[in-house]
Amino acid sequence: MLKDLGTPARGLVRAAGVPREVRRRRTVLVLIILACFTLIVLDARRSAGSPVEPLRTGAAAVFGPLESTASSARQPVDNLRDRFAELDRLQAENEKLKTDNDQLRQQLNTTDYTRNRAAELDRLLRLAPKFTMTPARVIGMGSAQSFSHTVTIDAGTADGVRVDQTVLNGSGLVGRVVRTTQGTSTVLLIGDRNSTVGGRLNSTMALGFVSGRGEVGGTLDYKLVDLKARPRAGDRIVTWGSSGNAPYVPGVPIGVVTSVTATAGALGSTAIIKPYVDPTRIDTVGVVTGPPARAPRGQLKPTTTAGKAG
Amino acid sequence: MIALRIGLAALFLMVAVTVQTSVLTQIAVAGVTCDLVLIVVIALALSRGPEWGAISGFVGGLLLDVVPPADHTAGRWALALAIAGYVAGLIRRETSAGPVGPLGVALTVVFGSALSLLIYSGTGALLHDPAVDWGQFGVRVGIAAGYDVVGAIVVIPLVMWVMSRFTAARERRRVVSR
Repeated sequence: MLKDLGTPARGLVRAAGVPREVRRRRTVLVLIILACFTLIVLDARRSAGSPVEPLRTGAAAVFGPLESTASSARQPVDNLRDRFAELDRLQAENEKLKTDNDQLRQQLNTTDYTRNRAAELDRLLRLAPKFTMTPARVIGMGSAQSFSHTVTIDAGTADGVRVDQTVLNGSGLVGRVVRTTQGTSTVLLIGDRNSTVGGRLNSTMALGFVSGRGEVGGTLDYKLVDLKARPRAGDRIVTWGSSGNAPYVPGVPIGVVTSVTATAGALGSTAIIKPYVDPTRIDTVGVVTGPPARAPRGQLKPTTTAGKAG
Repeated sequence: MIALRIGLAALFLMVAVTVQTSVLTQIAVAGVTCDLVLIVVIALALSRGPEWGAISGFVGGLLLDVVPPADHTAGRWALALAIAGYVAGLIRRETSAGPVGPLGVALTVVFGSALSLLIYSGTGALLHDPAVDWGQFGVRVGIAAGYDVVGAIVVIPLVMWVMSRFTAARERRRVVSR
Protein backbone atom coordinates (compact mmCIF):
# COMPACT_ATOMS: atom_id res chain seq x y z
CA MET A 1 0.00 0.00 0.00
CA LEU A 2 2.87 2.30 0.85
CA LYS A 3 4.42 1.65 -2.58
CA ASP A 4 1.54 3.47 -4.21
CA LEU A 5 2.37 6.65 -2.36
CA GLY A 6 5.47 7.29 -4.47
CA THR A 7 9.22 6.99 -4.37
CA PRO A 8 10.07 8.59 -1.00
CA ALA A 9 8.05 5.96 0.80
CA ARG A 10 10.07 3.19 -0.79
CA GLY A 11 13.17 4.07 1.24
CA LEU A 12 11.14 4.06 4.41
CA VAL A 13 9.72 0.70 3.61
CA ARG A 14 13.12 -0.77 2.95
CA ALA A 15 14.38 0.59 6.27
CA ALA A 16 11.63 -1.24 8.07
CA GLY A 17 13.01 -4.60 6.91
CA VAL A 18 10.40 -6.93 5.49
CA PRO A 19 7.48 -4.55 5.17
CA ARG A 20 4.53 -6.76 4.58
CA GLU A 21 5.45 -9.17 7.37
CA VAL A 22 6.08 -6.40 9.88
CA ARG A 23 2.86 -4.68 8.97
CA ARG A 24 0.93 -7.91 9.25
CA ARG A 25 2.26 -8.89 12.62
CA ARG A 26 1.62 -5.40 13.97
CA THR A 27 -1.94 -5.61 12.70
CA VAL A 28 -2.31 -8.97 14.46
CA LEU A 29 -0.99 -7.52 17.72
CA VAL A 30 -3.25 -4.47 17.57
CA LEU A 31 -6.29 -6.62 16.76
CA ILE A 32 -5.53 -8.94 19.66
CA ILE A 33 -5.04 -6.09 22.13
CA LEU A 34 -8.32 -4.58 20.97
CA ALA A 35 -10.01 -7.96 21.39
CA CYS A 36 -8.63 -8.22 24.94
CA PHE A 37 -9.86 -4.76 25.89
CA THR A 38 -13.26 -5.54 24.41
CA LEU A 39 -13.41 -8.70 26.51
CA ILE A 40 -12.34 -6.89 29.67
CA VAL A 41 -14.91 -4.14 29.16
CA LEU A 42 -17.66 -6.63 28.36
CA ASP A 43 -16.87 -8.75 31.40
CA ALA A 44 -16.05 -5.96 33.86
CA ARG A 45 -19.68 -5.25 34.65
CA ARG A 46 -20.51 -8.32 36.70
CA SER A 47 -23.95 -7.25 37.84
CA ALA A 48 -25.64 -7.32 34.44
CA GLY A 49 -25.11 -10.86 33.10
CA SER A 50 -21.73 -10.91 31.38
CA PRO A 51 -21.65 -11.97 27.71
CA VAL A 52 -18.53 -14.02 28.55
CA GLU A 53 -20.67 -16.31 30.70
CA PRO A 54 -21.53 -18.81 27.90
CA LEU A 55 -17.80 -19.04 27.19
CA ARG A 56 -17.14 -19.90 30.84
CA THR A 57 -19.89 -22.50 30.81
CA GLY A 58 -18.48 -24.06 27.66
CA ALA A 59 -14.94 -24.05 29.04
CA ALA A 60 -16.10 -25.66 32.26
CA ALA A 61 -17.96 -28.34 30.30
CA VAL A 62 -14.82 -29.20 28.34
CA PHE A 63 -12.17 -28.72 31.02
CA GLY A 64 -14.14 -29.97 34.03
CA PRO A 65 -13.81 -33.65 33.04
CA LEU A 66 -10.21 -33.04 31.91
CA GLU A 67 -9.27 -31.50 35.26
CA SER A 68 -11.10 -34.27 37.05
CA THR A 69 -9.08 -36.90 35.19
CA ALA A 70 -5.82 -35.03 35.65
CA SER A 71 -6.34 -34.60 39.38
CA SER A 72 -7.07 -38.30 39.83
CA ALA A 73 -3.58 -38.89 38.41
CA ARG A 74 -1.96 -36.69 41.02
CA GLN A 75 -1.37 -39.36 43.64
CA PRO A 76 2.36 -39.66 42.80
CA VAL A 77 2.68 -35.87 42.87
CA ASP A 78 1.03 -35.84 46.27
CA ASN A 79 3.45 -38.44 47.57
CA LEU A 80 6.42 -36.44 46.33
CA ARG A 81 5.14 -33.29 47.96
CA ASP A 82 4.42 -35.12 51.18
CA ARG A 83 7.97 -36.38 51.36
CA PHE A 84 9.28 -32.83 51.11
CA ALA A 85 6.70 -31.59 53.55
CA GLU A 86 7.37 -34.34 56.09
CA LEU A 87 9.98 -32.40 58.09
CA ASP A 88 7.94 -29.22 58.05
CA ARG A 89 4.92 -31.13 59.21
CA LEU A 90 6.76 -32.80 62.07
CA GLN A 91 8.04 -29.44 63.23
CA ALA A 92 4.61 -27.91 62.94
CA GLU A 93 3.11 -30.84 64.82
CA ASN A 94 5.66 -30.49 67.60
CA GLU A 95 4.84 -26.79 67.84
CA LYS A 96 1.15 -27.58 67.87
CA LEU A 97 1.48 -30.21 70.58
CA LYS A 98 3.44 -27.76 72.72
CA THR A 99 0.77 -25.10 72.37
CA ASP A 100 -1.91 -27.69 73.00
CA ASN A 101 -0.11 -28.70 76.17
CA ASP A 102 0.05 -25.08 77.31
CA GLN A 103 -3.59 -24.65 76.51
CA LEU A 104 -4.56 -27.76 78.46
CA ARG A 105 -2.59 -26.55 81.46
CA GLN A 106 -4.28 -23.18 81.17
CA GLN A 107 -7.66 -24.86 80.92
CA LEU A 108 -6.90 -26.86 84.02
CA ASN A 109 -6.41 -23.59 85.89
CA THR A 110 -9.69 -22.17 84.67
CA THR A 111 -11.92 -25.21 84.74
CA ASP A 112 -15.11 -23.53 85.93
CA TYR A 113 -14.79 -20.76 83.44
CA THR A 114 -14.12 -23.22 80.68
CA ARG A 115 -17.03 -25.38 81.72
CA ASN A 116 -19.36 -22.43 81.41
CA ARG A 117 -17.87 -21.56 78.05
CA ALA A 118 -18.23 -25.15 76.94
CA ALA A 119 -21.85 -25.21 77.98
CA GLU A 120 -22.45 -22.05 76.04
CA LEU A 121 -20.61 -23.43 73.05
CA ASP A 122 -22.58 -26.62 73.28
CA ARG A 123 -25.78 -24.65 73.24
CA LEU A 124 -24.56 -22.74 70.23
CA LEU A 125 -23.59 -25.89 68.42
CA ARG A 126 -26.83 -27.60 69.33
CA LEU A 127 -28.65 -24.66 67.83
CA ALA A 128 -26.86 -25.13 64.55
CA PRO A 129 -29.20 -27.49 62.77
CA LYS A 130 -28.10 -30.38 60.66
CA PHE A 131 -27.75 -29.52 57.01
CA THR A 132 -27.81 -31.76 53.97
CA MET A 133 -24.36 -31.94 52.44
CA THR A 134 -23.19 -32.80 48.96
CA PRO A 135 -19.64 -34.15 48.97
CA ALA A 136 -17.25 -32.96 46.26
CA ARG A 137 -13.60 -33.16 45.37
CA VAL A 138 -11.29 -30.27 44.52
CA ILE A 139 -10.15 -30.63 40.90
CA GLY A 140 -8.48 -27.26 40.24
CA MET A 141 -6.89 -24.44 42.19
CA GLY A 142 -6.06 -20.81 41.50
CA SER A 143 -2.41 -19.81 41.75
CA ALA A 144 -0.79 -17.17 43.92
CA GLN A 145 0.55 -15.17 41.01
CA SER A 146 -2.96 -14.58 39.77
CA PHE A 147 -3.88 -13.45 43.31
CA SER A 148 -6.96 -15.66 43.20
CA HIS A 149 -7.93 -17.89 46.07
CA THR A 150 -10.48 -20.02 44.28
CA VAL A 151 -10.86 -23.73 43.70
CA THR A 152 -12.93 -25.81 41.30
CA ILE A 153 -14.96 -28.67 42.70
CA ASP A 154 -16.45 -31.54 40.74
CA ALA A 155 -20.07 -30.96 41.73
CA GLY A 156 -22.36 -28.64 39.83
CA THR A 157 -25.98 -27.75 39.26
CA ALA A 158 -26.67 -31.39 38.35
CA ASP A 159 -25.79 -32.28 41.97
CA GLY A 160 -27.94 -29.52 43.42
CA VAL A 161 -25.13 -27.01 43.99
CA ARG A 162 -26.22 -23.39 43.60
CA VAL A 163 -24.43 -20.04 43.82
CA ASP A 164 -24.00 -18.70 47.38
CA GLN A 165 -23.96 -22.02 49.17
CA THR A 166 -21.58 -22.72 52.03
CA VAL A 167 -18.61 -25.01 51.40
CA LEU A 168 -16.92 -26.68 54.36
CA ASN A 169 -14.84 -29.69 55.23
CA GLY A 170 -14.08 -31.72 58.33
CA SER A 171 -11.94 -28.96 59.84
CA GLY A 172 -14.12 -25.93 59.21
CA LEU A 173 -15.29 -23.32 56.73
CA VAL A 174 -13.76 -23.46 53.24
CA GLY A 175 -15.68 -20.77 51.35
CA ARG A 176 -18.75 -20.20 49.26
CA VAL A 177 -19.87 -21.10 45.77
CA VAL A 178 -19.57 -18.16 43.38
CA ARG A 179 -20.13 -19.80 40.01
CA THR A 180 -21.73 -23.02 38.89
CA THR A 181 -22.02 -25.03 35.72
CA GLN A 182 -23.56 -28.39 34.98
CA GLY A 183 -20.74 -30.46 36.45
CA THR A 184 -18.35 -28.06 38.21
CA SER A 185 -18.50 -25.14 40.61
CA THR A 186 -16.05 -22.42 41.53
CA VAL A 187 -15.54 -21.80 45.23
CA LEU A 188 -14.24 -18.50 46.59
CA LEU A 189 -12.05 -19.38 49.58
CA ILE A 190 -12.37 -17.33 52.76
CA GLY A 191 -8.70 -16.33 52.39
CA ASP A 192 -9.43 -14.30 49.23
CA ARG A 193 -9.40 -10.54 49.58
CA ASN A 194 -12.88 -10.45 48.01
CA SER A 195 -14.31 -12.61 50.76
CA THR A 196 -16.00 -11.41 53.94
CA VAL A 197 -17.70 -13.74 56.42
CA GLY A 198 -19.70 -12.86 59.51
CA GLY A 199 -17.86 -14.41 62.45
CA ARG A 200 -18.88 -14.83 66.08
CA LEU A 201 -16.31 -14.90 68.85
CA ASN A 202 -17.00 -18.07 70.80
CA SER A 203 -15.78 -16.74 74.15
CA THR A 204 -17.92 -13.60 74.30
CA MET A 205 -20.41 -14.23 71.50
CA ALA A 206 -19.40 -10.87 70.04
CA LEU A 207 -20.08 -10.40 66.34
CA GLY A 208 -17.56 -9.35 63.75
CA PHE A 209 -16.41 -9.69 60.19
CA VAL A 210 -13.74 -12.02 58.90
CA SER A 211 -12.08 -10.97 55.66
CA GLY A 212 -9.32 -12.63 53.66
CA ARG A 213 -5.81 -11.18 53.54
CA GLY A 214 -4.90 -12.73 50.20
CA GLU A 215 -2.00 -14.62 51.70
CA VAL A 216 -0.94 -18.11 50.70
CA GLY A 217 -1.50 -19.50 54.19
CA GLY A 218 -5.05 -18.20 54.10
CA THR A 219 -4.77 -16.03 57.23
CA LEU A 220 -7.74 -13.79 57.92
CA ASP A 221 -8.48 -10.39 59.43
CA TYR A 222 -11.18 -10.15 62.09
CA LYS A 223 -12.90 -6.88 62.94
CA LEU A 224 -15.50 -6.75 65.69
CA VAL A 225 -18.72 -4.83 65.34
CA ASP A 226 -18.63 -3.94 69.03
CA LEU A 227 -15.62 -1.63 69.33
CA LYS A 228 -15.19 -2.24 73.06
CA ALA A 229 -14.95 -5.99 72.79
CA ARG A 230 -11.39 -7.26 72.52
CA PRO A 231 -10.62 -10.67 71.11
CA ARG A 232 -7.72 -12.56 72.70
CA ALA A 233 -5.24 -14.93 71.19
CA GLY A 234 -6.66 -18.43 71.26
CA ASP A 235 -10.27 -17.37 70.86
CA ARG A 236 -12.22 -19.45 68.40
CA ILE A 237 -14.48 -18.03 65.74
CA VAL A 238 -17.55 -19.57 64.13
CA THR A 239 -19.87 -18.23 61.44
CA TRP A 240 -23.00 -16.48 62.63
CA GLY A 241 -24.85 -17.22 59.44
CA SER A 242 -26.59 -15.06 56.89
CA SER A 243 -30.28 -14.53 56.41
CA GLY A 244 -31.76 -17.46 54.53
CA ASN A 245 -28.53 -19.37 55.19
CA ALA A 246 -26.92 -17.94 52.02
CA PRO A 247 -24.06 -17.61 51.54
CA TYR A 248 -23.05 -18.85 55.00
CA VAL A 249 -24.83 -21.19 57.38
CA PRO A 250 -24.35 -20.56 61.12
CA GLY A 251 -22.14 -22.48 63.49
CA VAL A 252 -19.32 -23.49 61.15
CA PRO A 253 -15.87 -23.10 62.77
CA ILE A 254 -13.68 -20.60 60.91
CA GLY A 255 -10.42 -20.35 62.82
CA VAL A 256 -8.54 -19.33 65.90
CA VAL A 257 -7.20 -15.87 66.86
CA THR A 258 -3.41 -15.78 66.77
CA SER A 259 -2.67 -12.12 67.47
CA VAL A 260 -4.52 -8.88 68.17
CA THR A 261 -3.44 -5.40 67.15
CA ALA A 262 -5.12 -2.08 67.77
CA THR A 263 -6.39 -0.69 64.48
CA ALA A 264 -4.24 2.29 63.50
CA GLY A 265 -6.24 5.49 63.17
CA ALA A 266 -9.53 3.96 64.14
CA LEU A 267 -11.43 2.58 67.10
CA GLY A 268 -11.43 -1.09 67.87
CA SER A 269 -8.90 -3.75 67.17
CA THR A 270 -8.05 -6.19 64.41
CA ALA A 271 -7.28 -9.79 65.11
CA ILE A 272 -5.32 -12.09 62.84
CA ILE A 273 -6.96 -15.46 62.46
CA LYS A 274 -5.41 -18.73 61.49
CA PRO A 275 -8.10 -20.71 59.68
CA TYR A 276 -8.81 -24.31 60.64
CA VAL A 277 -8.75 -25.22 56.97
CA ASP A 278 -5.34 -25.20 55.28
CA PRO A 279 -6.20 -23.69 51.87
CA THR A 280 -3.33 -25.45 50.14
CA ARG A 281 -4.49 -28.88 51.29
CA ILE A 282 -8.19 -28.92 50.58
CA ASP A 283 -9.33 -32.11 48.95
CA THR A 284 -12.75 -33.43 49.89
CA VAL A 285 -15.29 -30.78 50.79
CA GLY A 286 -19.01 -30.67 51.49
CA VAL A 287 -21.43 -28.20 49.97
CA VAL A 288 -24.43 -27.34 52.14
CA THR A 289 -27.23 -28.01 49.69
CA GLY A 290 -30.15 -28.85 51.89
CA PRO A 291 -32.27 -26.50 53.98
CA PRO A 292 -31.88 -26.51 57.76
CA ALA A 293 -34.55 -27.99 59.96
CA ARG A 294 -35.30 -24.57 61.44
CA ALA A 295 -33.88 -21.06 61.45
CA PRO A 296 -31.44 -20.71 64.34
CA ARG A 297 -31.06 -16.92 64.33
CA GLY A 298 -34.15 -16.20 66.41
CA GLN A 299 -32.77 -18.27 69.24
CA LEU A 300 -29.29 -16.83 69.12
CA LYS A 301 -30.47 -13.24 69.45
CA PRO A 302 -31.53 -13.16 73.13
CA THR A 303 -28.12 -14.43 74.23
CA THR A 304 -26.24 -11.77 72.31
CA THR A 305 -28.46 -8.86 73.26
CA ALA A 306 -28.36 -9.91 76.87
CA GLY A 307 -24.59 -10.12 76.70
CA LYS A 308 -24.31 -6.69 75.12
CA ALA A 309 -26.76 -5.02 77.48
CA GLY A 310 -24.94 -6.38 80.50
CA MET B 1 0.49 -28.69 7.17
CA ILE B 2 -0.65 -25.38 8.60
CA ALA B 3 -3.86 -26.98 9.91
CA LEU B 4 -1.82 -29.69 11.56
CA ARG B 5 0.42 -27.13 13.23
CA ILE B 6 -2.56 -25.14 14.50
CA GLY B 7 -4.12 -28.33 15.83
CA LEU B 8 -0.87 -29.24 17.58
CA ALA B 9 -0.57 -25.79 19.12
CA ALA B 10 -4.17 -25.97 20.34
CA LEU B 11 -3.52 -29.40 21.82
CA PHE B 12 -0.41 -28.13 23.63
CA LEU B 13 -2.37 -25.19 25.04
CA MET B 14 -5.27 -27.36 26.22
CA VAL B 15 -2.98 -29.83 27.94
CA ALA B 16 -1.04 -26.94 29.51
CA VAL B 17 -4.21 -25.31 30.86
CA THR B 18 -5.48 -28.60 32.31
CA VAL B 19 -2.18 -29.53 33.93
CA GLN B 20 -1.58 -26.02 35.25
CA THR B 21 -4.95 -25.74 36.95
CA SER B 22 -5.25 -29.23 38.40
CA VAL B 23 -1.85 -30.88 38.82
CA LEU B 24 0.80 -28.16 39.13
CA THR B 25 -1.10 -26.39 41.91
CA GLN B 26 -0.30 -29.44 44.02
CA ILE B 27 3.43 -28.73 43.82
CA ALA B 28 3.16 -24.97 44.17
CA VAL B 29 6.10 -23.14 45.77
CA ALA B 30 4.66 -20.75 48.37
CA GLY B 31 1.39 -20.89 46.46
CA VAL B 32 2.98 -19.90 43.15
CA THR B 33 2.54 -22.45 40.39
CA CYS B 34 4.56 -22.95 37.24
CA ASP B 35 3.00 -20.93 34.36
CA LEU B 36 2.87 -23.85 31.97
CA VAL B 37 0.64 -21.98 29.51
CA LEU B 38 3.10 -19.09 29.36
CA ILE B 39 5.95 -21.51 28.71
CA VAL B 40 4.06 -23.19 25.87
CA VAL B 41 3.21 -19.77 24.39
CA ILE B 42 6.88 -18.74 24.55
CA ALA B 43 7.91 -22.04 22.96
CA LEU B 44 5.44 -21.50 20.12
CA ALA B 45 6.60 -17.91 19.71
CA LEU B 46 10.24 -18.98 19.63
CA SER B 47 9.57 -21.61 17.00
CA ARG B 48 7.08 -19.70 14.82
CA GLY B 49 7.51 -15.95 15.42
CA PRO B 50 5.60 -13.04 16.95
CA GLU B 51 2.26 -13.60 15.21
CA TRP B 52 2.04 -17.13 16.52
CA GLY B 53 3.20 -15.92 19.92
CA ALA B 54 0.50 -13.25 20.07
CA ILE B 55 -2.32 -15.48 18.80
CA SER B 56 -1.43 -18.50 20.92
CA GLY B 57 -0.94 -16.18 23.90
CA PHE B 58 -4.40 -14.77 23.35
CA VAL B 59 -5.99 -18.19 23.08
CA GLY B 60 -4.09 -19.69 26.01
CA GLY B 61 -4.73 -16.63 28.17
CA LEU B 62 -8.41 -16.67 27.29
CA LEU B 63 -8.60 -20.29 28.38
CA LEU B 64 -6.95 -19.36 31.70
CA ASP B 65 -9.52 -16.57 32.02
CA VAL B 66 -12.59 -18.75 31.55
CA VAL B 67 -11.60 -22.23 32.70
CA PRO B 68 -12.59 -22.73 36.36
CA PRO B 69 -11.44 -21.82 39.01
CA ALA B 70 -10.83 -18.45 37.32
CA ASP B 71 -13.02 -15.77 38.86
CA HIS B 72 -11.45 -12.58 37.53
CA THR B 73 -12.48 -10.37 34.63
CA ALA B 74 -11.99 -12.28 31.37
CA GLY B 75 -9.36 -10.90 29.02
CA ARG B 76 -6.69 -10.11 31.61
CA TRP B 77 -4.54 -13.21 31.13
CA ALA B 78 -5.34 -13.07 27.39
CA LEU B 79 -3.83 -9.60 27.13
CA ALA B 80 -0.87 -10.46 29.34
CA LEU B 81 0.06 -13.65 27.51
CA ALA B 82 -0.57 -12.19 24.03
CA ILE B 83 1.91 -9.38 24.65
CA ALA B 84 4.40 -11.73 26.31
CA GLY B 85 4.12 -14.11 23.33
CA TYR B 86 4.57 -11.28 20.84
CA VAL B 87 7.68 -10.00 22.62
CA ALA B 88 9.10 -13.53 22.82
CA GLY B 89 8.53 -13.88 19.07
CA LEU B 90 10.39 -10.61 18.47
CA ILE B 91 13.34 -11.91 20.48
CA ARG B 92 13.48 -14.90 18.17
CA ARG B 93 13.45 -12.61 15.13
CA GLU B 94 16.26 -10.43 16.46
CA THR B 95 18.46 -13.46 16.89
CA SER B 96 17.24 -15.32 13.84
CA ALA B 97 20.78 -15.68 12.50
CA GLY B 98 20.96 -18.87 14.55
CA PRO B 99 18.73 -20.79 16.91
CA VAL B 100 18.11 -19.12 20.28
CA GLY B 101 20.57 -20.52 22.80
CA PRO B 102 19.60 -21.97 26.19
CA LEU B 103 20.52 -18.76 28.00
CA GLY B 104 18.46 -16.74 25.55
CA VAL B 105 15.47 -19.03 26.14
CA ALA B 106 15.84 -18.76 29.91
CA LEU B 107 16.05 -14.96 29.76
CA THR B 108 13.01 -14.88 27.46
CA VAL B 109 11.06 -16.98 29.96
CA VAL B 110 12.06 -14.77 32.90
CA PHE B 111 11.20 -11.65 30.95
CA GLY B 112 7.91 -13.09 29.66
CA SER B 113 6.90 -14.24 33.12
CA ALA B 114 7.61 -10.83 34.70
CA LEU B 115 5.93 -8.99 31.83
CA SER B 116 2.78 -11.12 31.86
CA LEU B 117 2.37 -10.90 35.64
CA LEU B 118 2.89 -7.14 35.50
CA ILE B 119 0.22 -6.74 32.82
CA TYR B 120 -2.14 -9.08 34.65
CA SER B 121 -1.74 -7.25 37.95
CA GLY B 122 -1.81 -3.86 36.24
CA THR B 123 -5.15 -4.54 34.55
CA GLY B 124 -6.42 -5.85 37.89
CA ALA B 125 -5.40 -2.63 39.60
CA LEU B 126 -7.07 -0.58 36.85
CA LEU B 127 -10.27 -2.57 37.40
CA HIS B 128 -10.00 -2.01 41.18
CA ASP B 129 -9.75 -5.71 41.89
CA PRO B 130 -9.11 -5.86 45.64
CA ALA B 131 -7.28 -9.16 45.20
CA VAL B 132 -4.21 -7.50 43.65
CA ASP B 133 -1.60 -7.06 46.37
CA TRP B 134 1.42 -5.06 45.22
CA GLY B 135 3.20 -5.81 48.48
CA GLN B 136 3.33 -9.47 47.50
CA PHE B 137 3.90 -8.80 43.81
CA GLY B 138 7.71 -8.73 43.82
CA VAL B 139 8.10 -11.95 45.78
CA ARG B 140 5.60 -13.79 43.62
CA VAL B 141 7.14 -12.60 40.36
CA GLY B 142 10.54 -13.75 41.60
CA ILE B 143 9.32 -17.20 42.55
CA ALA B 144 7.22 -17.50 39.38
CA ALA B 145 10.13 -16.55 37.12
CA GLY B 146 12.45 -19.05 38.78
CA TYR B 147 9.85 -21.79 38.70
CA ASP B 148 9.02 -21.04 35.06
CA VAL B 149 12.64 -21.44 34.03
CA VAL B 150 12.66 -24.86 35.69
CA GLY B 151 9.47 -25.81 33.82
CA ALA B 152 10.81 -24.36 30.58
CA ILE B 153 13.87 -26.63 30.68
CA VAL B 154 11.50 -29.57 30.17
CA VAL B 155 8.71 -28.08 28.11
CA ILE B 156 10.33 -25.68 25.62
CA PRO B 157 12.67 -28.20 23.93
CA LEU B 158 9.76 -30.66 23.67
CA VAL B 159 7.36 -28.16 22.08
CA MET B 160 10.01 -26.70 19.77
CA TRP B 161 11.10 -30.17 18.65
CA VAL B 162 7.53 -31.23 17.88
CA MET B 163 6.83 -27.97 16.05
CA SER B 164 10.03 -28.29 13.98
CA ARG B 165 9.05 -31.81 12.95
CA PHE B 166 5.98 -30.34 11.29
CA THR B 167 7.70 -27.54 9.41
CA ALA B 168 7.62 -27.88 5.64
CA ALA B 169 11.04 -28.59 4.13
CA ARG B 170 10.63 -25.58 1.83
CA GLU B 171 10.05 -23.29 4.80
CA ARG B 172 12.86 -24.80 6.80
CA ARG B 173 15.27 -23.87 4.02
CA ARG B 174 13.92 -20.34 3.98
CA VAL B 175 14.39 -19.96 7.73
CA VAL B 176 17.93 -21.28 7.52
CA SER B 177 18.93 -19.08 4.60
CA ARG B 178 17.58 -15.94 6.23
